[in-house]
This record gives sequence, structure tokens and C-alpha cells, in this order.
Amino acid sequence: MGILDGLGQGFSVALDPTNLLYVFLGVLIGTVIGVLPGLGPTATIALLLPLTYEIEPVTAVIMLAGIYYGSMYGGTITSVLLQLPGEAASVVTTFDGYQMAKQGRAGPALGIAAIGSWIGGTVSIVGLVLLAPPLADLAVEFGDPEYVALTALGILLVTYLGTRHPVKSLAMAALGLLLATVGQDLITGTNRFTFGSISLFDGFDFVAVAMGLFGVGEILYNVEKTEKAQALKSKISNIWPSRKDFKDSSGAIARGSVLGFFLGVLPGGGGVISSLASYGMEKRRAKDPTRFGKGAIEGVAGPETANNASSTSAFIPLLTLGIPPNVVLALIFGALLLNGVQPGPQLIDQQPEIFWGVIASMAVGNLMLLALNIPLVGFFVQLLRVRAGILAAFALLVTMAGVFSVNNDVFDMWVVLAFGIIGWLMKKTGFEPGPLVLAFVLGSILEESFRRSMLISGGEVSIFFTRPMSGTLFALMAVVVIWSTVQGIRRRRKRSRPSTPGEEDLAATGTTAEPEGTPGYENTDDTEGATTGAPRDGSGATGGTGSTASRAQDGGPGPDRG
Amino acid sequence: MTKHLHRLAPLILVAFGAAAMLGARNLGLGELSAPGPGLWPFIVATLLTLTGVVVLFIDDPEDYEPWTRGTLGIALGLASLAVFIVLFETIGFFVSAILMLLFWLRIFAREPWRWAVPLAVLGALAFHFVFVELLAVPFPDGIVFAPVGS
Repeated sequence: MGILDGLGQGFSVALDPTNLLYVFLGVLIGTVIGVLPGLGPTATIALLLPLTYEIEPVTAVIMLAGIYYGSMYGGTITSVLLQLPGEAASVVTTFDGYQMAKQGRAGPALGIAAIGSWIGGTVSIVGLVLLAPPLADLAVEFGDPEYVALTALGILLVTYLGTRHPVKSLAMAALGLLLATVGQDLITGTNRFTFGSISLFDGFDFVAVAMGLFGVGEILYNVEKTEKAQALKSKISNIWPSRKDFKDSSGAIARGSVLGFFLGVLPGGGGVISSLASYGMEKRRAKDPTRFGKGAIEGVAGPETANNASSTSAFIPLLTLGIPPNVVLALIFGALLLNGVQPGPQLIDQQPEIFWGVIASMAVGNLMLLALNIPLVGFFVQLLRVRAGILAAFALLVTMAGVFSVNNDVFDMWVVLAFGIIGWLMKKTGFEPGPLVLAFVLGSILEESFRRSMLISGGEVSIFFTRPMSGTLFALMAVVVIWSTVQGIRRRRKRSRPSTPGEEDLAATGTTAEPEGTPGYENTDDTEGATTGAPRDGSGATGGTGSTASRAQDGGPGPDRG
Repeated sequence: MTKHLHRLAPLILVAFGAAAMLGARNLGLGELSAPGPGLWPFIVATLLTLTGVVVLFIDDPEDYEPWTRGTLGIALGLASLAVFIVLFETIGFFVSAILMLLFWLRIFAREPWRWAVPLAVLGALAFHFVFVELLAVPFPDGIVFAPVGS
């Protein structure tokens, strides 16, 4: 099928009234949770997983995708107005966006962010349309050894790129793979690690694990962290940016689109890394880098464009190879599997309505966001009056009722609670739940491909290295592991902790990368250079007053919760 | 001693990994040419154990957050969820939902009673409507709405 036919079919799916409603719901929910600091896209998508049983698979993915890129828009609003990133990909926007707001230019900052996001999203959709079909054609040739290589590479890159401590994340990925083996062995029928429990015969339910780790775990962690209602002080006017603003930011938007697109395709990439990379790039390119952190419009336009571009292009590996490049996409992958759809190279041919429908819905959704964002900013800001505690109470009740509704089984509620405790403890101890869930989702595919490869080759492990494609992928993995180990050792010698690629950019902005899809909570303690800290270098005076002003406005850092 | 307290987490991982390795071996590893049910679990459990050992030595203590008064609150919150599940099984959704919302709204959100009570009742009603009436989820029989649901 040609691209035009495909797009035609896609739009007929996306413009179906039901799907149109769900795109709208998705982007609206996405924007709302982007604004609310206590809830990120991963938690929200995890909470809504049970709902996907009730609707068509294509409708479900359309809505979940809308939540993901919608949150990229929503996170901007609070970053600019209150220096309070609603989700992690908008942290860098606080640097210049909040300064612009203080100079009375909140309107243009939000305007250029929305327009940039739209351009980034659209560029990415075009790239997706052009790149995905040939990639899927290539992947159709893949056999089991290639799948082992690809899946392992995906998991490895996610643990290395998207996280702070590669080894800890790798341990979590191993734990995820192990948890995926619980239940009946599909080939021999043996019960593995079920300890005689009938409820465990089918293994842990993906929905329950994801809801526990991301839903309950993250809600609890955030309840412990944040507890504040915000009120908007500054007024927003002249949202439409001036001609000069456009001229200043056009380069940043163009670069952000391309950068975001490529970082989104990469396993381990996504909105957080691409926004940081774009900020670093703009700052390095600028004639006068000291303007950054003092309200440079490029510092808002670039990252906002990049994070939205990457949240769209991240669908390429999922829809063509069946490999989710980050945690949010892993949840969407899980949602598809639950509905009996196996994402992969055959998706375009076998279920074109899903492939093209999702792409077309993104074009529609991005337009909706542009239309929603500019006039409704005032309304979205009012949402900040909702206290984190109220949000948590209702979100937890949705989780509990929702997970019960999947199998009508109380056992799943206990699983959620158990994984909620584990998720919260992991967050407290610096282990990240993302790689665990990603590995858990991919675990059975990896095991099956591995075992079939072994059967094909008659037990020769060399099958993975002698075939050109899988050999290349394994070589790539070896390079990643060796390179990062050497880097890690070198940095340890320098008395700093092991770091991830892209750290130079983070260092340039004085922040640390939050995992993809987490809410950007506000640090209530006074540690410098943390999530909401002003840029460390180049702008001491302004940055300093910026953060003190915001603290004063917040009514002081509050340990005032139970 | 407290200096090494943070090594507890990787130690648990190592213990867990080692136990899983033993369990996997008992399942039967088979041959590489004919993998048994335990082979793959054995491989990933080995990976878990090895990474756990590495973390044991290289981990950064700063990564671990201190336990605060807030932590106690979270433990209380978790207990309340467990109570909710038990109540849910015995007296149904509606009343347990009101109680749980009330608890969270009072303790964590610190809403005054005049807000907490209507929010909890209306919230529980709304959830009941969505899950039972709209999505037809068969919640356990409750003491309120019992005849409607089943």
C-alpha cells in the first residue's frame, strides 16, 4: 500500500467520531496531567490501562498517544508561569520560560512553545510516514536471532541512556525479565515460580504490575514530596508572538524538530533527553550564551519543539520493529498486546488501520492541542488549585477499582499494592522502575525468540554472531557496554558518579535527567541545582532572585504534611 | 553500621537472584540445543545476581533518600490501601470507597470536614456510577447498592 492510500485510510480512521472523541480526550487529559505536578504521563497511562479493554485497540492507542504528546504541551504552561515543571521533559523550559514570564512576556513564551511543539510534532509525523514503511519492510526479514538481538539492544539502551545509574537500571531490567518468567512455561507447560498459587499460573498481570509501579508507587512518592496549592500571580497577554520572536526562534524550532525526531527514534530517547539536548545545543550555538537563563526565547522554543518531536517519533520503533524505545511506549506496547495486537513489522500490512490511524490521529491531535492551548491557558492554570492530596486520593481509588475490573479478581489488587510498595521503595533507593517494566513487557518475546533460536541452531550460541544483522547488533551492544564501563571507571576516578550520555548537556543546564514520563515535582528542600534550580552558570544574579522569588511566592518550602 | 545501611537494597537483590538461580536449576535447565523451562530464568537470574554484586560495591550512598516523618505517613497510606482491599471484598465498593477517600482527604490533603465529606460521598457515587453502571464491572456485593449490582 502506498503512503497516500495509507494516509487516506488513516484519516478515515482518525476522523471517525468515536476516535475523534478519544483523540480529544487523550490530548485534554495529557494537557491536564502535564499541568498537574503530581501526575506524569507514565502514571496516567498506567492508571488508564484497564480502560483499553473496553475500547477498540486503535482507539486505545490513539488516546494513550494523545496523553503522551499532550503532556508535552501541558508541562510547558506551569514551567513558564510558575517555574514548576508539570512533567520531566519541561524542566529546562523553566530556565528561560520563567524569566520571560517575570519580564511580562509569559504570553509569547507560551505561544512560541505551542507553535514550536506543533511544528516539531508535524515534522515528526512526516518523518514517521516516510521512514516507518521502509523500516518495517527491512524488519520483515528478521528471524528469531535478530529479535533476540534487537530486544536485548533495546533493553540495554534504555537502561544506559534514559537513566542515571546504568548498572542499577540493568539490575532492574534483569528483575523485570525474571518476573516475566513467572507462570506457565509456554513451550513445556511447566509451572515456574508459582509456589502453588493458581492466580500466578498466568504470571503477573502486566496491568497490575504497571499500575503498581507507576500508578501507586509514583503517587505515593509524590505525596511524600509535594504538597502545595499554587495560585497564578502574573497576567498573560499577547500570546501570539511578535515577528521578532518568530525570527529569533525559527532556527531553534528547526533544529529542535530534527534533533527531537532522531533522539525520539533512539531507544532510551524521548522527551526528557531531547529537551535537554536541544537546550544545550542552542546555548552552544548562540552568539551571546549569557542571555540564556535570562529569558532567551530560543531556550523555550528549542526544547519545547524537541520534546514534542521526539514523543511522536518514538512511535517508529514501536510500530515497525515492535520494540518500545522508552517506558511510556512500553506501556502503550503493553496496551496493544492486551488487546491481542502484536506490534511489529507485520503491523503495517496486517492491521494498517492501526498503523495509519494512529499516525493520522497525531496530526489531528497536534492541531487540537494548538487550538486548545492558546485560548485555554487561563483555564489550565486554574487546575493548579487542586491539591496533590486530593489528586492522590482519587487516583488511588481509580487504580484499585480499575485493576479489579480487568480480571474481576481481588488478587490483582494485592499485586498492585505489592508493586506499589516496591515501586515507592525503588524510587527512594534510586532504582528506576522504568527498565523493570520495559523488560517485563519484552521478557516473554525475548525468551521465546531465544529458545527458538537455540532450537534452530541446535544449541550453537554462535547463531547470534554469525548472521550479519544480529551480529552487528550484538557488536553494537558490546560497544555500548565497554564504552560506558570505561566512562564509568574514568568518572569514578574523578570522584564523580557514573553518568549517562548527554550528561554534558545536563551539566550545561545544571540539572539531572529525570526518567521519561515522570512528573516534574517541585523540590521542597533547598538543595541547589536540583529540578527547579536556576541555571548554575552565567546568570548568578538573575537566577538567584528567580528561585528566591518563587519560593517566597509559594509560601516557603513546606514540610507541612502528615 | 548505618554507613553501610544503603547496601541492604543490593544485598536483597543478590539474595533474590541467587534464590531464583537455585529455583531455575530445579526446574530443569535442559541442553542448549533443547532448552528446558529453567534455562532462561537461570540466565536472567544470573544477570540479576551479577549486577546486584556490582551495585553492592559501586553504589552511591547519596542516591538513597532519608527516611522522614513523611515516610511514616506513606506507610500509613499503604496500610489504608490494604484495609480498603479487605473492606472491598467484604462490604463492597461504595462504603469502602467513601471511607478510603475520607481518610485520604482528611489525613493527606488536610481538607476540612465540610469539604472532605461531600467530596468523598460524591466521588464514591461517581466511581460507582462509572464502574458499575457504565462499565458493568461486577464488584463484590455491597451493603449498599447490593441489589442493583448483581
